[in-house]
Amino acid sequence: MTGMAGDERSPWRRDFWIAAVAVAVFAGVLMVLPVPEPADPPGGPLPETNFAVVDVTVFDGEEFRPHRDVRVEDGRIRAVGQRLRLPDDLPRVDGRGHTLLPGLIDAHTHTYGMVLNDSLRFGVTTVFDQFTQPSLAAMKRPARESLARTDEADLFSAGNLATAPGGHGTQFGVPVETLTGPGEAPAFVAARKEEGADWIKIVWEDGGTFGADIPTLDRETIAAVIEAAHAEGMLAVIHISTLEHGLAALEMGIDGLVHVWGDEVISEEDAARFAEAGVFVIPTLSVRVAAAGESMGPELLEATEPQHVSPMQRQTLTGTFPRPVGTSEAAVESVRRLHASGVRILAGTDAPNPGTGFGISMHGELRLLERAGLSPAEALAAATAHPPDAFGIEDRGRLARGRIADLLLVAGDLENDLSRSTAIAGVWKDGFPVEAAWVASYPKAPDLYLISDFTDGVEASFGLDWQETADSLRGGSSHATLSARDGALHVEGALVPGFVFLWAGAIWSPGEERLQPVDFTGRQVVRFRVRGDGGDYAVQLFGAAPQSTAPGSVPFTAPPEWTEVEIPLERFETANPGIIAGLSFVATGDPREFAFELDDVEIR
Amino acid sequence: MTVNTARHGLLWHLRIALLETRFQFLSSLRLPAFAVPTLLFPLFFYFFFAVLFQAGGPSLTGPTYMLATYGVFGVLAPSIFGFGVGLAQERDTGALLLKRTTPMPTAAYLFARVGTAAIFGAVVVLALFLLAGFAAGVELHRGQWFSLAGVVLAAALPFSAVGLAIGAWAKQQAAVAVVNLVFIAMSVLSGLWFPISMLPGFLQDFANVFPAYHLGQLALRTIDLDLGRPLWFHLALLAGQTAVCLAVAAAGFRRFSGR
Repeated sequence: MTGMAGDERSPWRRDFWIAAVAVAVFAGVLMVLPVPEPADPPGGPLPETNFAVVDVTVFDGEEFRPHRDVRVEDGRIRAVGQRLRLPDDLPRVDGRGHTLLPGLIDAHTHTYGMVLNDSLRFGVTTVFDQFTQPSLAAMKRPARESLARTDEADLFSAGNLATAPGGHGTQFGVPVETLTGPGEAPAFVAARKEEGADWIKIVWEDGGTFGADIPTLDRETIAAVIEAAHAEGMLAVIHISTLEHGLAALEMGIDGLVHVWGDEVISEEDAARFAEAGVFVIPTLSVRVAAAGESMGPELLEATEPQHVSPMQRQTLTGTFPRPVGTSEAAVESVRRLHASGVRILAGTDAPNPGTGFGISMHGELRLLERAGLSPAEALAAATAHPPDAFGIEDRGRLARGRIADLLLVAGDLENDLSRSTAIAGVWKDGFPVEAAWVASYPKAPDLYLISDFTDGVEASFGLDWQETADSLRGGSSHATLSARDGALHVEGALVPGFVFLWAGAIWSPGEERLQPVDFTGRQVVRFRVRGDGGDYAVQLFGAAPQSTAPGSVPFTAPPEWTEVEIPLERFETANPGIIAGLSFVATGDPREFAFELDDVEIR
Repeated sequence: MTVNTARHGLLWHLRIALLETRFQFLSSLRLPAFAVPTLLFPLFFYFFFAVLFQAGGPSLTGPTYMLATYGVFGVLAPSIFGFGVGLAQERDTGALLLKRTTPMPTAAYLFARVGTAAIFGAVVVLALFLLAGFAAGVELHRGQWFSLAGVVLAAALPFSAVGLAIGAWAKQQAAVAVVNLVFIAMSVLSGLWFPISMLPGFLQDFANVFPAYHLGQLALRTIDLDLGRPLWFHLALLAGQTAVCLAVAAAGFRRFSGR
């Protein structure tokens, strides 16, 4: 202890310096230890194929998990974890403040034209289609097995639907193979399986809820189709419009409903029956609220960059039903009770019905499911992990090691604010980034002005032949017949009451498919020669939007003498007058018989 | 020499504490049986499990996770052995009695013990961090390196309390065995050697009684690898456990003084 007293300063100073140096060395080492490579902020060009999103909140299909790194390699998710060891040269996206989730899955759409691109741009990387042309479905299916770069969502589809002759589903001008009795069910299902259908979709719709009376399958036939589907190892799902039909389908052993009813609120006891039977429900609240006159369209367009929305999305989103059907309250409340009793709810939009848009409406459906009592995680599970689980499809819907790298990156915390889902910071399909902005990509029209001079019958110089069109496609009773005689097209028929608005006449599609949009940019006018009974007619021009929305229409009269008519394309009220999916010449207005002749149709 | 400690200033206390720390540290360093295993044990484990076993493996979070838990483990050894065994030794050989006759305040003695544990801990942390950063490929944000080091070094305090409680009661020969038992059992059952999630559920719940579990979770928390319990939960339990250890130690000292 004498050292302490006699040598007061030096040991003290020496100790101080030793301590100071030790602390400095310690801090110095901490300063040179490796830190993660700086990540690119989202907003710049997104990396592709091999990259990582670091320090992001992951929604894995069921739960939110903060501070995760997600590594993508060759189109698949290689690893998900906290503080992954990543190669120094691996491109990184800074995920802080963002949520990364599996690409969304819309469990109820009707595929048409360019819609798979519209879906993908809004983070919907897979669609479960509930009725489209079997040929289109067959064409699109192979892409889902491939990890090659694509600008379209993957498609699973029922293809042809099971409905009665003249029933719901037959009104769109797409040929539909119908059923008339239970005995036909096994052959019908076998034919669907042969076509490659991924499941069987049944329609039970008598039109009662919207004041129509349309033919529908009877209960015996529906039960037989369900049984036949199960015998073939396929799922059977059903379109219903009333609670009564939903409960009856439940009794018949249905696997899922592709709509919720809007006519009344389900009792808690009945909801429990759905849960016990393990029946899933795709409420399609998006179309339910639109049918009730409360479309989510304006809200969604408000939340979205205009250049990200295609003309077709805008047109269908702003479309409206002719008159309100049902109430959204009954539908929303029913979903609340179904969900509360444990029924698996799947997100689906029923796009492109009026008031819905491909892809974009899934973000509205999430908000509607939240309105029906689902938590953000439950609503997102309904749009990611649950649809593949319900339909027995693997490899997608979850953000986990080995799954396809279909990813949606959103700026914001979805756990606390689900409406942030429209703040899309990036979409990857099979590990490739998806361009957010809509780019027109319609086939160019051939350099021919003349469509038809009718010297060789009802053929056109390109596109499909001239065909009859009438409100009978939508359940009306009007009709028309076409014949090419003396170098002109003779159109004769009658407008007969039976539908909200009457039409009958001739239609031409410029693309390879009926009403497929074709790019006529640069053309100015539709020109044709006409003579007839002096009645009122209309030229109708179909734009990029599908046929469920009204075409642009310009009236003309057909005088007894041949007359040339020229109509500027801009007079047709479509989203883009240069994009034409179809051209029709029809009688409209009050019930009557009509006849006119058409010649030298040109778009120039 | 009579010294009224109460009349001395803070600087005086600090100086004595630093000096005592230096002597404690030097005497510990000169005891290879203490210094070598204390310094090498965590490094060897980490090298074995995080570097050798993980080399070329898939992108696992293992090396990062183990950095936190072996860091806590690295501070646990000097704290619990220094106090538990060292104190029992000094007491039974009479060295402690000698020290108590000097004017050195008790606080300086305790400070020196904790400080020595922290210095050994700092050496282990530095070596572990270098191994992790340059051999195991661990990358952390700068702030995470610092906060992890901070939590690990702060662990010397509660661990010393555990050691103090043992050292105050156990006899010199028994202390080595008791400390070893507590040291190994607490390390394994708190998830310092391998992730706590690998233990059966009832043992995971049981881990709550160990300060090492809470310190492990606090260290993992700095790198977002903890089990997600709230911060106050760990801090509150840790404070309670430390208070219990100190009370046990105080009772032990009263017994010693009364003898």
